[in-house]
Amino acid sequence: MADMTSFIDEVAATPGGEHIRSCIQCGICSGACPAANEMEYPPRKIIAMIRAGMRDEVLSSSSMWHCLSCYMCTVRCPRGVKPTDIAHTLEYLAYQQGFKVKGTTTPVMYQNFVNSIKGNGRVHEVGIMLRYYLTTNPLAALKVLPVGLSLFFHKRLPLLPKGVKGREDLAKIIQKFKEIEARS
Amino acid sequence: MEPRIGVYVCHCGSNIAGTVDCAEVAQFAQGLDSVVVARDYKFMCSDPGQEMIKQDIKELGLNRVVVASCSPTMHEPTYRRVCQEAGLNPYFFEMANIREHCSWVTEDKQMATDKAKALIAAAVRRVYYHQPLETREVPVNPNTLVVGGGIAGIQAALKIADSEHKVYLVEREPSIGGHMAQLDKTFPTLDCSACILTPKMTLVGSHPYIELLTYSEVAEVSGYVGNFKVNIRKKARYVDVDKCTGCSECEKVCPVSLPHEWELKLTQRKAVYRPFAQAVPNAFTIDKRGYPPCRVTCPAGVNAQGYVALISEGKFKEAIEVLRRTMPFAGVCGRVCTHLCETECERGKVDEPIAIRSLKRFMADYELREGREKAPPVELTKEDKVAVIGSGPAGIACAYDLIRLGYPVTIFETAPQTGGLLRYGIPEYRLPNKIVDDEISYVEELGVEIKTNTPVTNLKDVMGRGYKAVFLATGALASQKMGIPNEDAKGVIHALDFLQQVSSGMQVSLGQRVAVIGGGNAAVDAARVAKRLGAKEVSIVYRRSRAEMPAIEIEIEEAEQEEVKLHILVAPVRVLTENDRVNGIECIRMELGEPDASGRRRPVPIESSEFNMEVDNVIMAIGQTVDKAMLPKDLEYTNQGTLSVDSVTLQTNVEGVFAGGDVVSGPADVIKAVAAGKEAAISIDRYLRRVDLKEGRPAPLERVKEVSKEEVEIKSRQSMPVLELGERQDFVEVELGFDEKAAIEEAKRCLNCGVCSECLACIKACEAEAINHDMKDEYEEIEVGNIILTTGFEAFDPTPMYQYGYKRLDNVLTSLEFERLVNSAGPTEGDIVLKDGTHPHSIALIHCVGSRDEKYHEYCSRVCCMYSMKLSHLILEHVPGVQVYEFYIDIRSFGKGYEEFYNRLLNEGINFIRGRPAEITDVAENPEEEGKLIIQFEDTLIGLQRRLPVDMVVLGVGLEAQPDAEAVARLFNVSRSADGFFMEKHPKLDPVATMTDGIFVAGCCQGPKDIPDTVAQALAAAAEVLAMISRGRVEVEASTAVVDERICSGCQICMLVCPYSAVSFDEEKKVCRVNEALCKGCGACVGGCPSHAINLNHFTNEQIMAQMEGMLV
Repeated sequence: MADMTSFIDEVAATPGGEHIRSCIQCGICSGACPAANEMEYPPRKIIAMIRAGMRDEVLSSSSMWHCLSCYMCTVRCPRGVKPTDIAHTLEYLAYQQGFKVKGTTTPVMYQNFVNSIKGNGRVHEVGIMLRYYLTTNPLAALKVLPVGLSLFFHKRLPLLPKGVKGREDLAKIIQKFKEIEARS
Repeated sequence: MEPRIGVYVCHCGSNIAGTVDCAEVAQFAQGLDSVVVARDYKFMCSDPGQEMIKQDIKELGLNRVVVASCSPTMHEPTYRRVCQEAGLNPYFFEMANIREHCSWVTEDKQMATDKAKALIAAAVRRVYYHQPLETREVPVNPNTLVVGGGIAGIQAALKIADSEHKVYLVEREPSIGGHMAQLDKTFPTLDCSACILTPKMTLVGSHPYIELLTYSEVAEVSGYVGNFKVNIRKKARYVDVDKCTGCSECEKVCPVSLPHEWELKLTQRKAVYRPFAQAVPNAFTIDKRGYPPCRVTCPAGVNAQGYVALISEGKFKEAIEVLRRTMPFAGVCGRVCTHLCETECERGKVDEPIAIRSLKRFMADYELREGREKAPPVELTKEDKVAVIGSGPAGIACAYDLIRLGYPVTIFETAPQTGGLLRYGIPEYRLPNKIVDDEISYVEELGVEIKTNTPVTNLKDVMGRGYKAVFLATGALASQKMGIPNEDAKGVIHALDFLQQVSSGMQVSLGQRVAVIGGGNAAVDAARVAKRLGAKEVSIVYRRSRAEMPAIEIEIEEAEQEEVKLHILVAPVRVLTENDRVNGIECIRMELGEPDASGRRRPVPIESSEFNMEVDNVIMAIGQTVDKAMLPKDLEYTNQGTLSVDSVTLQTNVEGVFAGGDVVSGPADVIKAVAAGKEAAISIDRYLRRVDLKEGRPAPLERVKEVSKEEVEIKSRQSMPVLELGERQDFVEVELGFDEKAAIEEAKRCLNCGVCSECLACIKACEAEAINHDMKDEYEEIEVGNIILTTGFEAFDPTPMYQYGYKRLDNVLTSLEFERLVNSAGPTEGDIVLKDGTHPHSIALIHCVGSRDEKYHEYCSRVCCMYSMKLSHLILEHVPGVQVYEFYIDIRSFGKGYEEFYNRLLNEGINFIRGRPAEITDVAENPEEEGKLIIQFEDTLIGLQRRLPVDMVVLGVGLEAQPDAEAVARLFNVSRSADGFFMEKHPKLDPVATMTDGIFVAGCCQGPKDIPDTVAQALAAAAEVLAMISRGRVEVEASTAVVDERICSGCQICMLVCPYSAVSFDEEKKVCRVNEALCKGCGACVGGCPSHAINLNHFTNEQIMAQMEGMLV
């Protein structure tokens, strides 16, 4: 069992985490969640585990990676807790602290997405999907192939990446963010 | 005597000392001017603390004391007493609040300590200028007012009244009982709510020391503790409570039904109602919300809602009686009225207005078919005879009202038959003469004498024959001329002459082509009559647009159906002739220009757009005017050529001679003529009774403000059956009238805007003669010493919580609705049924609906867990084999026997599920869920999301402050906490007092609570009041206002602003003077005095300036 206090303090200090201590464990978030049954732990339980200081169990779970950002939990919560924002915080913490996540490939997708933007300033769909399926399950790519081809023939899926103007400026922005992140 | 000040700094445990360095502050105080001693101590209010102050006063000769501690509302009385006990005048004491104003509002120790010093310095400077004052005592009025007749009010009232002190219990509903009367059983003992409550209610009703004022509200409160003056509005109930026996015969005959609020709208009640059978007082109440728009709009004030309501109940004979209270023309107006009522009808805002005119006609048709009983002659109680000249609608309406007042009335009519334009102006196919005959003969049967073929041209003749008043209603029969060339040519006829000739059976020969000039009813009538006389081609020529045609729309439509051609925006320029006989008209086209005086856009000729129409006859229908030759001399006329009368009284320039109808207004509607006749009848009656003609005439009716259209189903009006086009050859009536079924269906669409329709059926039914529809609100001023507020709560309305589907999905109920459903005296007599009438197999109850939710109410409503469990138990009792689910977050079963009750429920097999449901839906995901309400939730104790199909859902709604709590709080000058409930003086040590002395709170108006707690509070409030009464006097502040007579200019502004009427004017010295016994020290006069002549003791300018200086130094 990890340190009992520090984990909840850490989450409470992030944007959207302010009201996590007001949670009364009523479960309306999990009841309203369209992905609750896919999750390792439903949102309510994640909050209970954060409060119990179960850092490793929470950050290595797949729960937050299943969040669809529909905000239903946040809208329904009677206490102003923002489980959607907390899920995003947990994703960030898990990635930053190098947790290996079981049962979901979402982190891979996110990583490829961000890399594509870092490079080109915009998303290159073909590149992302290729890398994603190569890293996860190349056979699964067959399932989306018809859609991909259809998009291609409608000229909606360029084969080669096309960068935005001023990529040097973008690089500066990213650099600045990394400095700020390192400081905090 | 030189001031010697002692300063005492309290630590209040760590409350103050935790933030303020008390020792440093005391040391600072020691250095202030005139301070002899300064000390700090852990609890200054404790016995040793008090002793310390007393000892210093005696030993160090202190003559001023400052205590720096908590709020003066908490301990000022304590330290004043300490001073007094040590022989010092209590007003030599001053308090510095270094807790609420200092230590509690910051964590910064340095700043808190600095502020404490400043506050103490201010108090020291102030107390330097204090003067000794004497406190005064005033007697306490032993009467008490209790506001709100729920269980709290009942208990408090009974307890005080039992001590033989008078109690006024004011309740705004028609019965006392409050929410408790709606409940079925009460937790945890399961005793029947009615069984324990109704005996108490009865006791209240019959207690010799309780004056029960139901259906009443407090309008105004003034005065102060021990001496309040309260103005109470007793709403008109229209039933004499003392006479009403509660037999409910009135309810049976009342035709107006509306949702029963007391039954949570699960059933219907009548406009005359009693909320429930055990009501106290056991009397009915008539619900009137104002006058319906139909009645307000009708120029004659016909009570349309009244007869429509009776028709909806199939009471056709009674319905026509309602109409006859106003006028005799059911059949006439049912056919030709311009029905302004329908334009204003509120139902029109939902779908289509009620077909009021057609329903009116239906009543007349029904009576004609069934046969009318002869009207009994009116007993003539008055001696003064009245002459009415003219037997058109105005004359008949006037005679009708006057004969019913008991005046002998004679109508003089020039024509051979009665009815005026009703007979001669409106064609048979619209208004058959037999209808006119019948309705006028009804008036004759009442005793009105009608002399036809009797022109009256000399008023003196009439007066000479003993008539004391005259009503002139001779109409406007002279046709206006157009002023175009050849308009007197052969073949040009005036519409009225034409219609009159046809109507009286004369042969009128027309050519094949007829042009009718004009756009009013006379024009359309003439066109349609011409068509019926065989003219092949009939055209209406009108100079404005179709929308501006004054004729009734349906008449125009029917004319068009009958192939009458409309030439719109066309004006005749000249009549074309050949051998002095019409052979055509020259016309010019028009366009609409700027609006004219009538607000309609003025038609302007288009240049060079002249054209000719070939016609054989021209019928002029451009308007009628008054024929002065037919009228007596001596009368004055307006510029328009109509009779000049007073606009209110309708009196002409000749005394005792009144006039109305077309002769005054120019050509107008039948109903406006009727209205004028009725207005004249009022004037004539007043004239003959020698009452002022203007003063005190009946005021215009006030239209109902808001009409509920909640849950009104869209339903079109019944269509009027009409004669097939091919059959409209002769003068057979075109409209056929509603049959009974259609009439009832149509009448049922009425929204009953005014609620009570004033059909007066209840008056006939009431053997006790308890009903009086003319009651007015009354005000009663009472004097009381104390007031207890027991105004209760409102149940949370879950409609905004979309996810729970309340009012959107069937079989989702609130807990209060379910209380009625499960109650054996409720709408289903305790049978728990679904909307389709079947019994549920599974019911879910959801806790915390609207409670513990920052979006609605943050607080816990305290009763929902327990009442939900109670309902679960009752469900098991009522529906064997049913599955019951309780969705809870935390079970709060904190009272005596409550946890045991929870345990009992667990063992009865109730399924407790921990989790707040996320959604209730009727969208099934599998066959098992079809036709059910599906609850989606997380079972938090398992950690799984689940869906549960059930038949019925009960929402455990919370308690919230009454919607008007803010207004009530302002009325009684009590404060409210953030949750909206009234605030007690101290949450633990003074739970039923408020910050206003003499005003107490008890029950749910102070916060959500169950019945035992409510009763405990009510009795506590009663004890507070009894203590006051028992002592018999109360101390009032010595800080009163004093007028410096040397400065006072005698302007008396202070007298205007004083809320206690404590200032009077000395006529001799011409100065104002404050009566100390009445002054409450509010200071209003001090601020109001323009010459600064008034000072408030203990709040003198000197003291306040010194205090400010001390703060700033």
